[in-house]
Amino acid sequence: MTDLAIELKRVGKRYPYFALDNIHLEVPHGQIMGLIGPNGAGKSTTIRILMGLVQQDCGDVRVLGRRMPAEQIAAKWDIGFASEDMRLYEGMTIEWHMNFIRSIYPNWDAPYAQLLLKRFGLRAEQKIKGLSHGQRVKATLLLVLARRPRLLVLDEPTTGLDPVARHEILRELTAVMTDEGRSILFSSHNTQDVEQISDQITFIDRGRIIDSMDKEAYLDRWRRLRLEVPLGIALPALPGIIGIRQDGRLAIATANVFAPDMANEYESSGARVKSIETMTLEEIFVANVERSREEVEA
Amino acid sequence: MSSGLFISQSDKRPIYLQIMEQMKQRVAVGDWAEGQAIPSIRQLAVDLQVSVITVKRAYLELEREGVIVTQQGKGSHVASSPGLGTRLQEQELEKHLEQAIRLADMLGIRPKDLEARLRETGDRRMEKEEEQV
Amino acid sequence: MNSPVIRTLILKDWRLHRLHIILSLVASGAALLVLQFRNEAAFVIGSVWLFVSLIVLGSMLPVSNVINERKKQSVVFLMSLPVSALQYAVSKVVSTIGMFLAPWGASAVAATIFALSRRDIPNGIVPFILILFGLPLVGFCLVAGTALISESEGWTISATIVCNSSYGLIYYFIVRNPAINGAFKSPTPVWSPPVLMILAGEALAAGLIMGLTFYLQSRKREFV
Repeated sequence: MTDLAIELKRVGKRYPYFALDNIHLEVPHGQIMGLIGPNGAGKSTTIRILMGLVQQDCGDVRVLGRRMPAEQIAAKWDIGFASEDMRLYEGMTIEWHMNFIRSIYPNWDAPYAQLLLKRFGLRAEQKIKGLSHGQRVKATLLLVLARRPRLLVLDEPTTGLDPVARHEILRELTAVMTDEGRSILFSSHNTQDVEQISDQITFIDRGRIIDSMDKEAYLDRWRRLRLEVPLGIALPALPGIIGIRQDGRLAIATANVFAPDMANEYESSGARVKSIETMTLEEIFVANVERSREEVEA
Repeated sequence: MSSGLFISQSDKRPIYLQIMEQMKQRVAVGDWAEGQAIPSIRQLAVDLQVSVITVKRAYLELEREGVIVTQQGKGSHVASSPGLGTRLQEQELEKHLEQAIRLADMLGIRPKDLEARLRETGDRRMEKEEEQV
Repeated sequence: MNSPVIRTLILKDWRLHRLHIILSLVASGAALLVLQFRNEAAFVIGSVWLFVSLIVLGSMLPVSNVINERKKQSVVFLMSLPVSALQYAVSKVVSTIGMFLAPWGASAVAATIFALSRRDIPNGIVPFILILFGLPLVGFCLVAGTALISESEGWTISATIVCNSSYGLIYYFIVRNPAINGAFKSPTPVWSPPVLMILAGEALAAGLIMGLTFYLQSRKREFV
């Protein structure tokens, strides 16, 4: 038994206009992994491959110790998967879906399902046809949560939701983590959600993984340095600084591998460090994608 | 058990720092007594709806600062060091003083003048309090 | 392979199409009732109605059970369950065929019994009835096979159009065959070589199409 809930090694998949390339991804048990990246970066494809729904061209995929897609039946007993484009049967009620799922999964938790109905403000007798987008997402998530899977894989669970619905869903996701043996992988382009609830972060852009690590360590590596640069002074190029934007005497340097020495180096070059700020994941996200695009163009 | 902590989205500081600061405040004001059991990392993460790793980081740093003690299998407690609350309040004061000095420096106010202004502010406050009484 | 989940998936398809199946049975029953009136107009209307109800069912089922599930992305929901691509494919083939075969079989048996029980209709017509029932079966197999393999609405509609426009022509050739129309008036069914050949041809076509569909489906690895 490995201590990884999800393990992707050198995974690749080629499409006519898009390719996933050399994807490495590890999600330890008991943790929440947030997968972020712009639209079309390959988040959904990666998720479909690790669910066994799409077959990789190369590389190894193991989920809960099972090889995918070969052992997907065994693996999927313990995985709750919901994706943004997943649709329930329009003409059927939420209750019909609940009974359908219960007939498959013996560990369906009926009282918990009832509780979730109430918390999500849903009624069992409602037909899917008449539900709003947010209600559909919540109904889909209810079907996934109430079977208490060891691993939750959620593709864009909070996209297009109002703040209340988003909050309700994040609350249920973090509640899952009361149990140390359970893990979550979710993708989002809402960086706030990822920053708030994930333990690990994976950045994906243009089919490649840019960064994948512990969220706290990751956020800690990034800093914004506000500098005052007297005329005639050129800022030195420091390793770990990925970009400097200068306007007149004021400059902003962005560090993706911050070291306290940086401040000293700038000071000794003649500049003055006015402040050193931490960055939100959103700011890091934009800086990261911009850098990766510049590299591609270069 | 509700921790009574609150994570603000508009607060630009990292979440772990917000947790640390609020926990220190609870100890400083005496809400959390020395030696008192505090929520486990997982419990607090679920309660605040933030990731386990973030709370873990806050706990580790608080432990390093001597504010809390985490024992394997026994959970976490507020450290039983006498005068912890007062010490934390003093640290807080220290921080504000440093901030004041830095701002003064930027504005070109010398330490001596800052001292005078501090005294003035104190006097004004005293007067106000007397008026209210 | 005979996992309980496959059974659940098939049962689910039956539940979702309850209305289709019931309506088709009601239509067939109504057609048989019309046939009870002993005049030529009733006979023509009743028999045409009987076949139309089967043809409609045979064109609607593949679209509703196969194409719509894809188009509306419910297939992603199903593939999140503990099933493999192969199991899903099997469940689709089995449920689609089963949902057609049940009302089709019931209608065929009822029509045969009807013909045998009526004194004014010679029993020699029975082989012709069976041959006629074979037509919507082959047509359905073609449409269902196209739907399952192509997973495309366009191809499925094309197959439906081809089938529906060929029924008249094929009917014409069958009725004009002397070995068949010559035996209409016979008091007992005549299983002449042409009759057997046509029946065998229909069975073979249906079997081959479904076999090929099953084979191609079982090689698919992705449904999403």
